[in-house]
Amino acid sequence: MTAAIEPDAFSSAEPVSGPLGPVQKALDVVNIIMAVGSAVAILAAGLILTWEVAGRYFLGMPSNWQDELSVFLLIGATFASASWTQARRGHVGIDALSHVLPPGADRVRRFLADLVAFVFVAFFAWKSWELMKEAWDEGETTPSSWGPPLWIPYASMAYGMALLALQLLVQTLQLGRRS
Amino acid sequence: MNTLDVGLAYGAATLVFLFSGIPIAFALGAVATLFMLLFMPAAALDTVAQSVYEELSSITLLTIPLFILKGAAIGKTRAGKDLYDALHTWMHRVPGGLGLAVTIACGLFAAMAGSSPATCSAIGSSGIPEMRMRGYSPGFAAGLVAAGGTLGILLPPSVVLILYAVASEQSLGRLFLAGLGPGLLLVVLFGAYAMVRWRFEYRAALARGQPSPILERHNYTMRDRLAAAPRVLPFLILLTGVMGALYGGIATPSETAGLGAILALVLIGIVYRTWRLKEIVPIFSGSLGESGMLLMIIGMSLLYSYVMSYLKISQGAAAWIVGLHLSKWLLLTAILLLVVVLGFFLPPVSIILMTAPIILPPLKAAGFDLVWFGVIMSVVMEMGLIHPPVGLNIFVINRIAPDIGLGPIIWGTLPFVILMAIGVVILSVVPGIAMWLPAAVYG
Repeated sequence: MTAAIEPDAFSSAEPVSGPLGPVQKALDVVNIIMAVGSAVAILAAGLILTWEVAGRYFLGMPSNWQDELSVFLLIGATFASASWTQARRGHVGIDALSHVLPPGADRVRRFLADLVAFVFVAFFAWKSWELMKEAWDEGETTPSSWGPPLWIPYASMAYGMALLALQLLVQTLQLGRRS
Repeated sequence: MNTLDVGLAYGAATLVFLFSGIPIAFALGAVATLFMLLFMPAAALDTVAQSVYEELSSITLLTIPLFILKGAAIGKTRAGKDLYDALHTWMHRVPGGLGLAVTIACGLFAAMAGSSPATCSAIGSSGIPEMRMRGYSPGFAAGLVAAGGTLGILLPPSVVLILYAVASEQSLGRLFLAGLGPGLLLVVLFGAYAMVRWRFEYRAALARGQPSPILERHNYTMRDRLAAAPRVLPFLILLTGVMGALYGGIATPSETAGLGAILALVLIGIVYRTWRLKEIVPIFSGSLGESGMLLMIIGMSLLYSYVMSYLKISQGAAAWIVGLHLSKWLLLTAILLLVVVLGFFLPPVSIILMTAPIILPPLKAAGFDLVWFGVIMSVVMEMGLIHPPVGLNIFVINRIAPDIGLGPIIWGTLPFVILMAIGVVILSVVPGIAMWLPAAVYG
């Protein structure tokens, strides 16, 4: 595996030239908004869990909703930020073949790899969308006593994966254009 | 097709997809989905998203972003340098004291931050130049930090042990405690090697008869020794206190993660005045990038093993291994070799989630304690972090000290790979090193 490059800020993807340039620019804006939102969600989850232990220990408050809300926030952060991470190629893969293949064949490999990733993520986004719609229509909730609606985390998956699919599509087309 | 054929096809497809360069998360998800399409009822495809959500929505797994945030917060400060500086002022009379101080600092930092790469870059970015300035050979300095950093996946709160707890259905508290003794054993092995190697380099410099920084002596006053204490002690006290709260039953693992992250952020604000947006933003963007990538891999790995188990591939493979009737230790050796080979390509999180359903039943049948095995497997995967050609820590060190070069770094890490293998043998002969603490606490 390759070492993931740690981003130093909520930066955008490498600039894309040609007709896809404006599309990537628009995606960058959405990606960065989602990433900042995700970071805030992680911080919020930390604060809620801190509140949970402090509230129970010092104030004798019951802990019944904090874990679930944290799960929602952290799942939301994972999927909402997925496209931002992909824009900077932060989802690591095995790139051993890039050292072996001739440059032309390697471009084809990278194109196909991005294409397969796009198809899978688009399919996943579609299934998440159906899941969200069903949960919304049937009013599904989690089985706990607090019972928050399930369409909320499902929505983060549906929108996050749809955005990721779009990001992968732009990257695939860009590779296809170059080769 | 029978189970064997499906299983072989599943394995082959996985290899092709992974080596095509598709990001690991999506490659595993795509293989799983493809096999659902081919071999499972049509309705199964509709549950892809739901399966991932249900597997991922475990509060234990979701402690990972918070532990990463805690590590990133501490890692972005000078805490690493303060830690080994403070230790060095106390140990400078010991031959090779700086190397020893760096080893212990790596262990302590890893326990606070819970991440190997974070430990490497936090201790290494100033520790390696410092050791080289004092005459340590570059490869030795690099190897020491690379190896010390690996302690991050053994000492609590290790992300790897969290995943192992989920995959093996073992108690996380027990696993964390079982990691402590072996972590200490590795610190001792690394520290002893650092002292011996220092002696060796010291003698070589003496024999050359020329002035060399390794021959210089330094003296520290009591004032020097206490200087860093106000900066180092709050971290040690509060963050070990948080883990203490976990074992004392005051906080659950998820609360420990939340509390640890928030306390770390507050502490770096107070102690290092890290509270400007310009300094805070990289902490959040860095930990978001890492945890998002990891959790995506985890979610998709869980989907991957769900399909593997639905198609009875994992059960078939496990039964086949049991049917070989290997002797206990041969079985363990074979499985650990498999883990080493997988470590060439995959991060520890995927190795655990993909292999657990196959390798754990035979190990259990052979009479191994699964908590003990979790620790052994972690040590072996730690070796994967520093063994050439792909060890992650090698690249982290190469990034922070690019002038050393990959060759000397790899040569510098090799002795530590051997030391870890020795550690695995010691832990196999004396399992009590890992098991006495959880037994003492939980009975």
